[in-house]
Amino acid sequence: MAGLELKQLQKSYGNVEVIKGIDLTIEHGEFVVFVGPSGCGKSTLLRMIAGLEDITGGELVIGDRVVNAVEPRDRGIAMVFQSYALYPHMTVYDNVGFGLKLARTPKDVRDQKIREAARILQMEHLLDRKPSQLSGGQRQRVAIGRAIVRKPEVFLFDEPLSNLDAALRVDMRMEISRLHNDLGATMIYVTHDQVEAMTLADKIVVLDGGVVQQVGAPIELYQRPANLFVAGFIGSPKMNFVEAGVDKVVGDSVTVSGPDVAGVPVAIPAGRLRPGDRLTLGVRPHDLAVAPSGTIVGRVGLVERLGNETIVNLELPSGASWLAVLEGDQILRRGDSLALDVDPGKALLFDKSGQAVN
Amino acid sequence: MTRRASILGGAAAIATTFVVFVIPFIFIVLMAFKDRQQSALRDFSWPTGFHFWENVAEVVKTRNWMMITAFINSTIITVVSVTLLVIFAAMVGYVLARRKTRWNGLIEFLILAGLMVPPAVVPTIWLLQGLKLFGTLHGMILIEVAYNLPFSIILYRAFVATIPRDLDEAAIIDGARPLDVFFRIVLPLLWPVTVTNIVVQSVGIFNDFTNPLYYLPGNANATVQLTLYNFQSQFSTAYNLLFTNILLITIPPLLVFLFFNRQIVAGMTAGAVKG
Repeated sequence: MAGLELKQLQKSYGNVEVIKGIDLTIEHGEFVVFVGPSGCGKSTLLRMIAGLEDITGGELVIGDRVVNAVEPRDRGIAMVFQSYALYPHMTVYDNVGFGLKLARTPKDVRDQKIREAARILQMEHLLDRKPSQLSGGQRQRVAIGRAIVRKPEVFLFDEPLSNLDAALRVDMRMEISRLHNDLGATMIYVTHDQVEAMTLADKIVVLDGGVVQQVGAPIELYQRPANLFVAGFIGSPKMNFVEAGVDKVVGDSVTVSGPDVAGVPVAIPAGRLRPGDRLTLGVRPHDLAVAPSGTIVGRVGLVERLGNETIVNLELPSGASWLAVLEGDQILRRGDSLALDVDPGKALLFDKSGQAVN
Repeated sequence: MTRRASILGGAAAIATTFVVFVIPFIFIVLMAFKDRQQSALRDFSWPTGFHFWENVAEVVKTRNWMMITAFINSTIITVVSVTLLVIFAAMVGYVLARRKTRWNGLIEFLILAGLMVPPAVVPTIWLLQGLKLFGTLHGMILIEVAYNLPFSIILYRAFVATIPRDLDEAAIIDGARPLDVFFRIVLPLLWPVTVTNIVVQSVGIFNDFTNPLYYLPGNANATVQLTLYNFQSQFSTAYNLLFTNILLITIPPLLVFLFFNRQIVAGMTAGAVKG
């Protein structure tokens, strides 16, 4: 059982740098999720850990060994692919046992381990079938079975659920979570689906442009994003942003105003901002509430009434559009003026370079 | 209207096939049943007597049972060459399709050159003599492999591209060494092309006449196609025996074809990845 350490890990294809020096420590038994938009390098990073891509620079430590030049089979890892990658000419039994066969495990031990893995994943009845006779969810189970039968120290998942339908995805998500509890192994999981990231992870690593944007617990990333990118990426619907400047600073609170907002109070530790600073104000759609004397005023656009909540598209004076998710069923008419308020503790401010101020 | 046209078209196709393929075969069979005098007429007539078994016995016994030696030699050459061809061509096709380097263009040019440039016989004989391979079965096998490799590679290369790369990677993660990946994962999945290769190449090599004629001289080295010369000469030809010979040596390729044709299974990779 082992943790991982990435030290200044780099990857380039010719002159194109895709992973630009990543430092990351993953503790033993942690469930770490890499998220980011497509092309951010999350899959490449996972493949570097797996040993399927060469490491251009830096060090990769698994357990207490530097494994830069170690073959994938000796790294103590197992990987589940997005496409499942089952061997179509073998039965499920042989698919699961393939790694053990290559490792020359005695036949009786192999049989026992395969049946054990099948039992954990509740797929004993599938062992004699070929992959083509399985449904998507069953194939995914076999792919996971192939990984757990090798008893690896680190599990790598490359978007394992993105080919499944929505209902099955929820089931498999719980299954993976249960597996993590039962096996206690380190798991690294790549996804672009933030619901998966938020629900599964002990620790989320947000990547963009080959750089780590923020590392932290899911709720920490949601409540205290380190920069504009993380703020915009985590949370659904997306956070609303607007340009603003500091009006006045009073103790632990500042008031910001801009073309679209007038005097929004934001809680900020004293001394960080001065009047006149140019900033970006970020407010999550869920943190907005209707208030007749609200500081954010706009015209109602599209309204989606879902019963338990109402999603409003608000057009601000400058033409920017904000989303607000309001509690309960609100009766709003298109074109009406609507004033919203935000809790000072939940509004976020970002400086010119996009870094969070509070 | 279209229905009648399609029936007419089908009938025309069947008639053409019958004239082109079946009539010559019937002619061969009829000739094999005739005696020497009747066969010398070379006409399309019913045999006057039943001489088939006599003809077969004579063909097989001619020149100290040369037919038997020839069958053994041809079988060895065909089986070994086709085995080597399948393994090497699949390996080359696999590497060419998977690993993109700046040499790929040159390699592909050489493969095409191997397909297009006619082999030079005399220099090849010099080379074989220098390597002490001239007139030996293994020399002949190497020649057959070399001549037929480009075609097999081209067949394989296109098909390797349809095997998802994820499978290779999954096998590597599972602990497979390169040869394991090839022999346990890739080669089994190439089975449909392998069958095509076996059928095409074994029929071609078994029926090869010119190459054994050039590179494999000597009575002990005869291959089946060369036994045809036993019954032909400048002044007399035993047509009944010649056609019996043709009939006998047509049987093995026919069997290969019938057996493997049913083995060509499509969609071996179904179920490997999503979908």
